[in-house]
Amino acid sequence: MITGIKVTVLIAVVTSVMSLLLGTLIAVMRKSRITPLRALGGLYVETFRNIPGLLWLLFFYFVFPEILPSGLGEKLNAYIYFPIVASIIALTFDNASYVSDIIRSGLLAVPPGQREAAISTGLSRIQQYRYVLLPQTFRKILPPLGTRMIHNFKNSSLCMAITAPELTWATQQIESLTFRGLEATTLATAFYIVVSLSIGGVIIILEKYLKIDIESITHMETG
Amino acid sequence: MDFLIEQFGNWKFYLIGAYPKGPLGGLSINIAIALLCMIISFFIGAIFGMGRLSCRRYISYPCIIYIEFVRATPALLLVFWFFLFIPSVLGTNISLFWSSVIALSIYSTAYQAEIVRGGILAVPRGQMEAALSSGMTRFQAARTVILPQAFRMMLPSFVSFFISLFKETSVIYIIGVIDLTQAGVIISQRQPDRMFASYLCMAIGFFVVCFSMSRVAKTLEKKVGILDLSSYRPTVCRTDLSLYPRGRGKSAA
Repeated sequence: MITGIKVTVLIAVVTSVMSLLLGTLIAVMRKSRITPLRALGGLYVETFRNIPGLLWLLFFYFVFPEILPSGLGEKLNAYIYFPIVASIIALTFDNASYVSDIIRSGLLAVPPGQREAAISTGLSRIQQYRYVLLPQTFRKILPPLGTRMIHNFKNSSLCMAITAPELTWATQQIESLTFRGLEATTLATAFYIVVSLSIGGVIIILEKYLKIDIESITHMETG
Repeated sequence: MDFLIEQFGNWKFYLIGAYPKGPLGGLSINIAIALLCMIISFFIGAIFGMGRLSCRRYISYPCIIYIEFVRATPALLLVFWFFLFIPSVLGTNISLFWSSVIALSIYSTAYQAEIVRGGILAVPRGQMEAALSSGMTRFQAARTVILPQAFRMMLPSFVSFFISLFKETSVIYIIGVIDLTQAGVIISQRQPDRMFASYLCMAIGFFVVCFSMSRVAKTLEKKVGILDLSSYRPTVCRTDLSLYPRGRGKSAA
């Protein structure tokens, strides 16, 4: 069970970080001036949002090795940590679509004057995003982003479907070995509740901390 | 393309499972469970959502605890919990379908309660004050003034929650209900070389339902969003200001 917790946390942390990066990339792509990039971003989001994460897990675990060239696929199937890798890939892609939507709404909420100001000070497009737009966006979207990360953490329980040795899978193992499934499941549920609520708490604290930051900046601007 | 056409030959299994001969399955069971849970949890969720807003602590605290705890639990764990809990505690066997319906309704009740709470909070404070000052009791005010407006604003979120609940129903595949995912897995196990096609079919099944529902949500948002509230507020003001209150009786409604 302890190893289960470790794997769960590993999957959750890695997918959160990676999906944040991928989601940012997709959100910026969807705002780009180049139509193919925009279309690609839109297609990505629509595809991954409208199909459940469980299906993506199954897809990356069962089908992905099949459609690869035969030698490579078999190597993947033999690889002992492949369930974990596949679940990380699948959850990252799944979560990134939601994250990118959240970031996009945050980008739209940044006043257009900020962008114009950034252009007029001579920043390149990458610099605009890096120094002006994204920092403001992330402050705005922190609450929905936090909810999404909790969701992502909870979604890691789905990885048991592809036998990734995480917490839920461990409880099922305990159940099949000792028939004490109810106790194991209750314990696992308690763990999920504690971690989810503490992520929520951290987000609230972070939000307060960053809010003070914003206020001091605006104060400097006006004063 | 042949392999795809061959897969579509199994469309009946994907859609309704082995229904006439065996239990209902496939995509229809996903929709059935999602709809049932939606209806059950709508009523219970409305109670919890309003309970959370109650000013009496012995009502609001249990509601908060319930909502926060359920929201912090993965749906899969709840499904497992009921799958194991009901036989071992009540001593009776319950069908997989009903145990997953119970589990997912409990799961969605918490989310529905939050939607209801959000909707009620989105109604301007003045509405409640106006209702109270016109001599209504709190209950009357909630029933005739606040809730009709709140439900209107909640409608888009209900639809988008239905989408996520529908996607969440795919977890019941793990306890062995033959839903769309399970149907696809069964078919792909029968024909391992056609795996890609059967997964594609599952994906199409989920995609069609979710995508169309998300379009519905978008249209609803445009039609009965906050826009609507702003469009009728001026008329209320006008009847209040006019010297000849012809529509007095109507304006209260």
